Amino acid sequence: MASDPDDGGEMPPAEATSPAEAVSDPSAEAEAEVTAPEDEPVKASGGSVVPAAGAESSHPEGLSLNYEEARALLGRLEFQKGNVEVALRVFDGIDLQAAIQQFQPSLSDKTPSKKGRTKSELPSSVSQNNPASLVLEAIYLKSLSLQKLGKSTEAANQCKSVLDSVESIFQNGTPDIEQKLQETVNKSVELLPEAWKHAGSYQEALASYRRALLSPWNLDDECRTRIQKRYASFLLYSNIDWSPPSMAQQVEGCFVPKNNVEEALLLLMIVLRNWYQGKTHWDPSVMEHLTYALSLCGEPLVLAKQLEEVLPGIYPRTERWATLALCYYVAGQKDIALNFLRKSLNKLENPNDILALLLAAKICSKDHHISSEGVEYARRVIALAESSDSHLKSVGLHFLGTCLGNKSKVVSSDYQRSLLQTETLKSLTESISLNRYNADLIFDMGVEYAEQRNMNAALRCAKEFIEATGGSVSKGWRLLALVLSAQQRFLEAEVATDAALDETAKLDQGSLLRVKAKLKVAQSSPMEAVEAYRALLALVQAQKNSSASCKNAIEKAKALKSYSAATLHAEGYMHQARDQTKDALAAYVNAFSTELEHVPSKVAIGAMLSKQGPRFLPAARCFLSDALRVEPTNRMAWLYLGKVHRSDGRISDAADCFQAAVMLEESDPVESFSSLS
Amino acid sequence: MPNDAPPPIHSTKDALDALAGILGGALPGSIAAADDPAAALLSDPDVASAVSGRLRGSGSGAGNDSLCRWLYDAFRSNVPELQLAVLRFVPTLAGVYLCRAVSRKPLAGFEAVFLVLYAHAAAQRGAGEAETVSLPNLANPSPYHDAKVPPKAKPAELDVAVLSPPLEPHGTVRATRRARIVGAVLQLYHGKLAHMPLSSKMDFCEFCVAWAGTHSKLDGADKQRLPPARDAAGGGAEKWRRVPLPWELFQPVLQIVAHCLLGPTGSDELKAQAARAAECLYWRATETVDARAVLATRSLVRLSQMVEEPIPEPSFSGAIENMAELEAMRANILNSKN
Repeated sequence: MASDPDDGGEMPPAEATSPAEAVSDPSAEAEAEVTAPEDEPVKASGGSVVPAAGAESSHPEGLSLNYEEARALLGRLEFQKGNVEVALRVFDGIDLQAAIQQFQPSLSDKTPSKKGRTKSELPSSVSQNNPASLVLEAIYLKSLSLQKLGKSTEAANQCKSVLDSVESIFQNGTPDIEQKLQETVNKSVELLPEAWKHAGSYQEALASYRRALLSPWNLDDECRTRIQKRYASFLLYSNIDWSPPSMAQQVEGCFVPKNNVEEALLLLMIVLRNWYQGKTHWDPSVMEHLTYALSLCGEPLVLAKQLEEVLPGIYPRTERWATLALCYYVAGQKDIALNFLRKSLNKLENPNDILALLLAAKICSKDHHISSEGVEYARRVIALAESSDSHLKSVGLHFLGTCLGNKSKVVSSDYQRSLLQTETLKSLTESISLNRYNADLIFDMGVEYAEQRNMNAALRCAKEFIEATGGSVSKGWRLLALVLSAQQRFLEAEVATDAALDETAKLDQGSLLRVKAKLKVAQSSPMEAVEAYRALLALVQAQKNSSASCKNAIEKAKALKSYSAATLHAEGYMHQARDQTKDALAAYVNAFSTELEHVPSKVAIGAMLSKQGPRFLPAARCFLSDALRVEPTNRMAWLYLGKVHRSDGRISDAADCFQAAVMLEESDPVESFSSLS
Repeated sequence: MPNDAPPPIHSTKDALDALAGILGGALPGSIAAADDPAAALLSDPDVASAVSGRLRGSGSGAGNDSLCRWLYDAFRSNVPELQLAVLRFVPTLAGVYLCRAVSRKPLAGFEAVFLVLYAHAAAQRGAGEAETVSLPNLANPSPYHDAKVPPKAKPAELDVAVLSPPLEPHGTVRATRRARIVGAVLQLYHGKLAHMPLSSKMDFCEFCVAWAGTHSKLDGADKQRLPPARDAAGGGAEKWRRVPLPWELFQPVLQIVAHCLLGPTGSDELKAQAARAAECLYWRATETVDARAVLATRSLVRLSQMVEEPIPEPSFSGAIENMAELEAMRANILNSKN
């Protein structure tokens, strides 16, 4: 078929040349589908025909490009050379709408009819220089140029027009379109949200991200993954006014995110899954985003699961173990965490990981039985941080002090105990000298001084702690009150407690009320003590009621736990008062099964048994000694032990015990210091 | 004047007039003349620095502080743009309040503002309910992926994580609940970050560094160095000291720093400040080895050092035919006016 008529007259006058049409190849059938028939309107820019197969090899002589194509190609050349502004000038003349209009009939003819034929013909019949894809590519490059020049809004608008055009041409989704066009589509889809973001139009950006991921653009995996990652990051950190994605059809059981964090988490998990399936390369930022988001939500176990699923070889295994230890520690599973750390800190693995050592020392410091292990970890930190980092050294010394203090409570020999106590204070003092502002450290020092009966120093620490925290932490107030009570300064202790009650919200007042009640008892004001206890009971009741409506059952259990050993002990006391010995014993045994180191119940059992008769004296002695092992300053235990010795006939031992009891009475707080931690 | 109750604020005009009276001078003309005076107020730098300067000055925040009264009234006027203008000052308010509260000075003015913001935050959540997040389970299909759902199977149960616990009503600020109240206010601020001007976010990062009380390795300076006060007008800038940072405060602080660091703020200066803040918070977390805080801050610090994958440049393959033609046309196209 002959080429279309010359459009010279319809071109703008400035054009010297008048490009003719590309002559289609004699491929009659393709032409019949492809060529715009004569009766179809021919647009001003030249009714160019989509070149048929083998156009490259069968170009006639003479001009074969039309106006649009020429601009597109020229612009592309300029862009390749890096002359962005020149390229823009060239691109500016392209009228996308017009170009699309003329391509529309030809391209959309293909898609519905003659599928088999058309599909196989498509790759070959639509060559690389297909005007449609050329023009679209040109507009894309125009938008990219605008973006490079910083004109993001215009860039976004141009990009959007590309996508709108493609959508209007291929209304049933993009089928197997040729590679160049697909590439343009991919790049435009990727560029559009970024352009909107740079322009500051965040709602548009949100919409375009969703359009990119939810419409059928037939993106390749890497491209899609990049978009997903950027979108997840956008959702997590931009604080836009979020709205849910609109769903064309509701699939049963479909997870539709209800806020930005959910959508971001969903996308990050999908990216990870794509990585497992080999569709994309590993990007460490994905895991970091997940870590951040899940730590914020307080869901460490989900994070741990994701970490565990990462294939080996990505992380060094000690790093993985250390991070897993952190996750499990947050979840409250200290034993698992410690096991991971032990593996990681083995001398064959990574024994110098300071953070892992510190976490291990911290876990050990909470449990008396592994305090020696904790001491070792803490010492390693100190040795490693010696020259470089006084901040970390201070933390190491802090944990060392705590572990040594715990250790001193479980050793049997007095000499060892006093040695350890000196060491403890030394470590804590050195730690404070390196970091004066660590409030927890000041508190721990105060407790240590108090337990070693250095009351003045303890008082100083308590006051400093309250100052450092602005009175917002109630255990500081309690320490102050208890130290004052140990110094027999009951009135001042009461003043402190009242000040604390003023600063404390209702629901947190429980432990303070208890201290107040005991202070009243110590001052022999029983009626006021009763008042205080009544207030405390009301509070417990209120807490039980509010926790009934609390959704999280674990929260409820935790709220009640702190009372259970004490309440059982109280129950036992009541039974004892009524001479119901068996019930009392049962309650006390329950109390210390709930809390293994519950000293008051042991003392109570010991006391009861000592009255039962000579057969029970060894058992009584056993319980009382056990109590003293944990709390050597418990004067009631010494008193009852003295009685046991006396009943057994060991008078000198009895005398020693009674003397200890008397000495302790002079410096006894109304409540044991161990209740503070 | 201080003894009379100021007139209630019902509209933007009232607010602007009142503010002019308090600051002791007319506001810049551009604000009153703007189409949306409240929005102009939000972004005006002069007014912002004047107000911030007052808030940071000594003696601010007392019960009779007229500026606090203005903030209180303006927020309660329920004009959304005015509320945004008040929120803009939350970083400065929180910074000054928390640092001074540790010394237990009387700060009834600040507390009143915080309480009204807190009440609004609680009301926004529908009577103070917890903010929760359902954790997605990839076994359930979603708009973004397909999953094989066996027929007649129930969708997999979802875990629900608590992003922020419920807010109980508070009439006064007690020391033990201070962190909770300020934390909730910071979350309110976080929700509106997209509208906040850059200077507000810069203030926040500056205070973060002070609150953490640790030094950033990026500084390389000694521990005692504190950032100079923005308006060192009244000589002897107050030293903003470290404050207790329990999780209820730490979490919203971290969210805001994350936005400044990784969100589309478009300011390198802000990113640098936020990176410093994140690092200081990390060191603060390691002081007590608070595992949750360590994990989150460590990730932020790492993310700040990672570069985002760029969009690949377009590839140009294949020779272009008709080069001669193109060259011929080129001059014409370039010289023509479109």
